[in-house]
Order: sequence, then structure tokens, then C-alpha cells
Amino acid sequence: MAAASPVESVPPAPIASIGTGIANLPNQRHKIVAKNGANFTLMVCGESGLGKTTFVNTLFTTAIKDQKNLNRRKVKQPAKTVQVQITKAELEEKMFKVKLTVIDTPGFGDYVNNRHAWIPIVDFIDDQHEKYMRQEQQPSRKGIVDMRVHACLYFIKPTGHSLNPLDVEVMKRLGSRVNLIPVIAKADTLTPADLAKFKESIRDVIAAQNIRVYSCPIESDDEASTKRNHNIMNAMPFSVIGSTQDVTTSDGRSVKGREYSWGVAEVENEEHCDFKKLRSLLVRTHMLDLISTTEEVHYENYRQSQMETRKFGDPRSQPSENPKFKEEEEVLRKKFTEQVKAEEQRFRMWEQQLLAERDRLHKELESQNDKIKELQGELDAYYYSQRDSPKSIRK
Amino acid sequence: MAHRLGGRRKNVKKGFQFTFMVVGASGTGRTTFVNTLCDSGVLPKKISDNPEEAHNEAGIKIKPVSVELDEDGVRISLTIVDTPGFGDNIDNEKCFQEIVGYLESQYDDILAEENRIKRNPRFRDNRVHALLYFIAPTGHALREIDIELMRRLSPRVNVIPVIGRADSLTPQELRDFKRRIMEDIEHYNIPIYNFPYDPEEDDEDTVEENSELRTLLPFAIIGSDEEIVVNGRTVRGRQYPWGAVEVDNPKHSDFARLRSALLSSHLQDLKEITHDFLYENYRTEKLSRTINGGDQDGAALDADEMASQSVRLKEEQLRREEEKLRDIELKVQKEIQEKRQELLAKEEALRSLEARLAAAQLQDAA
Repeated sequence: MAAASPVESVPPAPIASIGTGIANLPNQRHKIVAKNGANFTLMVCGESGLGKTTFVNTLFTTAIKDQKNLNRRKVKQPAKTVQVQITKAELEEKMFKVKLTVIDTPGFGDYVNNRHAWIPIVDFIDDQHEKYMRQEQQPSRKGIVDMRVHACLYFIKPTGHSLNPLDVEVMKRLGSRVNLIPVIAKADTLTPADLAKFKESIRDVIAAQNIRVYSCPIESDDEASTKRNHNIMNAMPFSVIGSTQDVTTSDGRSVKGREYSWGVAEVENEEHCDFKKLRSLLVRTHMLDLISTTEEVHYENYRQSQMETRKFGDPRSQPSENPKFKEEEEVLRKKFTEQVKAEEQRFRMWEQQLLAERDRLHKELESQNDKIKELQGELDAYYYSQRDSPKSIRK
Repeated sequence: MAHRLGGRRKNVKKGFQFTFMVVGASGTGRTTFVNTLCDSGVLPKKISDNPEEAHNEAGIKIKPVSVELDEDGVRISLTIVDTPGFGDNIDNEKCFQEIVGYLESQYDDILAEENRIKRNPRFRDNRVHALLYFIAPTGHALREIDIELMRRLSPRVNVIPVIGRADSLTPQELRDFKRRIMEDIEHYNIPIYNFPYDPEEDDEDTVEENSELRTLLPFAIIGSDEEIVVNGRTVRGRQYPWGAVEVDNPKHSDFARLRSALLSSHLQDLKEITHDFLYENYRTEKLSRTINGGDQDGAALDADEMASQSVRLKEEQLRREEEKLRDIELKVQKEIQEKRQELLAKEEALRSLEARLAAAQLQDAA
């Protein structure tokens, strides 16, 4: 996690202890960690209107992100690109601090043409690895800013059918770079039967398309943890209902949930959705694993691939500079070159035709000129011959 | 309303013919809605395709299906056109063109038929009288694809916006969502079918009915082809762990109101508007377009704003070169003409000389 600070001096072992006191090391570690706090970066990715902001606020039981201000939707012109929005918060529970960073991706999947929508997101993740790598290579490594993404929640539309091509494309690219956790958004629109079928079809697609999703280590020291981990992994993709409001159920309990005219969908009820399991995964039990996987696996992969091709200290080759523009440019250029070529051809042929005409006419002229000369010659000859005998003409 | 009733009485025996189209992204509840409306499995549910092909973008498919309904003793011959694949691709530009193409080809058929000398009495009118557009229940506002579609299709068909899967919104959220959608529709000037009425001409009942339907726009739809038991009654609905939603309950969904508006009270109105207004507009546009010639679509370049400037410049250059060459051509031609004239003149001179020579020779000989 954070850079190691000097180890605190070992407290003098109590006189009656057996052993040297090495067993006290975990407590020391605990104190250090508790003092430093943790740093966690979470990315939420998905179309707008799927409940990402509400989920994040529900997860940490506090309004971390503001809801989208819809009154201003007509004021600004849509930029038609995907943006990366960073929100930072500091949470404290029982004297333990967590610096939380939430990355949102507004504009993803919202347009008519969503080709290349994933590029800003993928570039952002790679950029964070790059930045960390650079900072590591500096002479002075104090105060490293680490915004590497530890987990990415991908919100799937609750269609009830399957993943659509955009989902597949994006998940493939995210899965190889970050811990990807697929989540079924707004799950209160699916009946239990629909939900089961949907999960199965998503799992099939993930397997068939070789998408890498996060899987936590299942085996653990005690039985209960192993079973719990099993449960959690079996529920993937997690169905989620988000709500920050307290409502009263029909039997009088006050819970976080959504109140419909036909009933109340509860957030923390395991039969209604998988929120508790996901929270456990993200916060209670596996946050550390997420962080260490990011550092040990994803960051190392990135570092390895970069160092194989780059010398130490070299700048990174520019990431694909908006291939959408490049594509359009190429097409236009091709069209244009073709047109120019066609026109040139036409002109050339025309020129040739004109030249041919001109030559022909010249030749005609020449031949006519020759004829004239001949006749002129004859005339002259005749004239002279006549002149010599003038009498015949005057007759 | 009176004339409408009269029309109905006359047509009750013959039955009505009505065509409507359902458009919406996959998973918004189109198919289920149609099946609920007709109370039978008219459209097949989407079979999840082969997971290995999930990354392939299928285009949009337009499929009409016909079914006979009996509504309050009136026979309706209903044709439903489904559009699976709309909005499911990464790039959805082509989807609009396909739908508009379909609508216009129906109009073209009618146009051709009308212009025939001998018309076919059994000609089937396949024009689409209404289009139900299913908006995804995001709870926010209209998205780009929603606005684009409604805007491009309103000139050709009566568009009725509908919120699909409305059971994912709480009552408060639904109210806000409806309000924002109507605000957006007004802001972008999208001419949807909003149950038009004239407060001066029509009678009170019509005015009341239409204004009530107008406030319900866009209709919040929940569909189900399954039956569940609620409080001892068997109804169509969806069973959740926290409660049961009933399709026909007006407090849960606007399905019943939409059904009655579409199939009984406003069926005639929709058909009339399609024929008297939308079709006539299309006809005028099309006929005046053919008169003016096809110059409009001659431009080979769909000018992309980005590089069009330089393209235009180069075009100007090319044009200038062309003109120059044309001038040269003219000049050369003129030269040729002149030379020809010269030649002819010389030939004339020669001939006259020859003639004189010949004459002189003759004289000489004589």
C-alpha cells in the first residue's frame, strides 16, 4: 500500500512471555496501517440512467457524488465524447481513514454512434499506471500520487436478454487492464426467474468471449470464509438496487429501499438483490485483495509490456490519437485522391484529343498548301509558256 | 365525435384495418407489450443468440405480423411491425434510414397505385398509422437516440412516445420523468401525436378525453404475458419478491388507457391523420422533387464539416482548371474553324483559277 514508514520500536516484551515476541509483529503492522489509512480508487462505467451515482452513495452510506443536475441538460451542448469525472472523498470509520476516489464516465454509450467510446476510459487506466511507473523511476519517491484504478464496476442494462456488442467490446478491453466486476443495474425491474436467466446468459457470453472478470481467492483458513467467498463468486454478475432513502416496509421496518405502489424493494435484503455481497466484496472482505491484485498483477503486466519495448526514461508512444477522427480523415482523403485522379485522367485524354485534332488539321493544311503550290507552279509554268506565245491568249 | 361514431357503425361489420409499428432498444418491453395487447403470443420472444456471436452487430430487421382481434364486438385486422435490432449496435446511424425507408416505401406503393389507370380493388393498404416509441426507463430525460428517432420519423408517421418497463420507476420518479420528457419534446420541437383537439369545434366529451390522454403522455407501460394470483384474483402481471404488479391496474400502468385509445377511440383519428396529412405531405414532397430534377442528390460528397473546407477549395481549383481548358478548347476550335474557312477560300480561288485555266486552254486549243 503506502510507502513503508520507519518501524516503531518493539515494546519491551513482558517478562512472563514465552518466545521472543515475533508474534507481536502483526499488531505493529496493524498500528502502522491504521495510522496511514488506505487509498482506494473505484471506477463506475455504464450508460447514463443506470443508477451508478445512487449506487456509490448507497455503498458508502453518504452522498459522495451529486446526482446529475437535469435542469441544466439543455443549457450545455453535448460534446459527443466520453469524459472522465473524478470525485474524491475521505471516509472515516472508527478512527480509520480511507481516501476514496470515484471515477465516473459520463457520456459512455449515450450517443447514436458509440464507436470508440471506450478509448478515453482505457487511456485513463493506462495513464494511471504510466504515471505511477514514472514516479517510481524518479530519484525522489516520496509523496507518490497513486490513482491506479483498483476496481471497475461495469453496469449492465437490465434488458433481460444478454450482453450487447458494446458491452462485449468494452468489457474485453477493461478486463485485461483492471479488476472488472460486472453488475446488473436497476435489478428491481427483473423478476427472480428473469434475473436467473439473465445472469446465466451473461456468464455464457463472458466465457465464450474470453472476458476476464475479477475472481477473488476462494480458499481461506476457516470454513465460513470459504463458503462466503463461494457464495459471492457464484452470484456474479451482481444484481444491484440502489437507494439512499429510508422507507417503511409493509411490516413496519424502516430500511433503505424503493417504494412502489405494489411493495417495497429493499436494498439490503439478500432475496431482493446482491447488494450485500457486492459490498462485502468491495469493502468488508476483499478490498485489500483488489488493491494488491491491481498492484501485483495489472500494474506489473503494464510495466512489463512497456519495458520490453521502451528504454528506461523514454516517453510513451502517443496513444491512438482519437481514431474516430483518423478514420474520417482517411475516408475523405481517399475519396478526394480518387476524384483528383479521375479528373486528371479526363484532362489528359482531352489534351490528347485536342493535340490529335490539331495535328490532323495541320496535316490537312499542309497538304492543301502543297496542292496550292503545285497548282500555282503549273499556273506559272503555263503563264510563262503563254507569255512566250502571246498571240494565242489575246485571241 | 358524431361523425366518428357514424363511421364506426358503418364499419363495424366490415371490420377495421390498422397498422402500427413498435420501435425501441432491446429489452424495453416491445415484444411483451405486443403480446399483452393481443392477449396471445403474437411475436416470438428474443432467443438469446449464440454467446460466441455476442460481439457481432446485427443490423435492424423489420418484420410485419398480422393478427385478427375482436374489440367490443368490432373486428380489427391488426398488422404489427416489429423492429428488433434497433439501437443495439455500437453505431446506430443506419437504423433510422431503414425505418424511414420502410415507411416511405409503403407510401410509394399507395402513390403508384393511385396513379394507375386501372386500380386494384383488393389493394392492401400497408401504411403505418401509428408508431409506438419505447423510451428506456432511465429516469433522467430523453437521450440523443430518442430525440433523433422521433424527430426523423414524425414527418412520416404518428409518433406516440411510451415508457417501457415502467415498473422500474417509483411513482414520484415516474412523474418527474414524464414531465422532463414532455419538456424535452417541446424544447426540440418534435411533433408527436398528442391527441389533438379543438376547444371550439369539438364537443366537451372529446375535449375532456383528449386533454386527459394528453396529460398521460408518455404512457408508462408494463407488459406481461404471464398470469399471477393477487389477493385471490388471477390477473396478468409480474411477481416480485416484494409485491406484484398488475398490468391492467390503472394505478400501476397506463396500459389499459393506451390500449383503448389505440384500438377503439383514436384508431380512426390516427388513420385519418396518416392519410389526410402525412401521406399528402409526402406526396407533395415527392412529386415536386421529381419535377425539380435529381440535382440535390448529385453531390458526390456528403460534406463532412471537418475536411469540407479544403475539399471545397480544391473543388474550386478544379473548376477553374476545367474552365481554362474549356476556353482553350473553344479557342482551338475557333482556330480550326478559321483555318477551314481559309482552306475553303483558297480552294475556291484555286477552282476559279482552274476554271479559267481550263477555259483558257480550251480557247487555246480551239
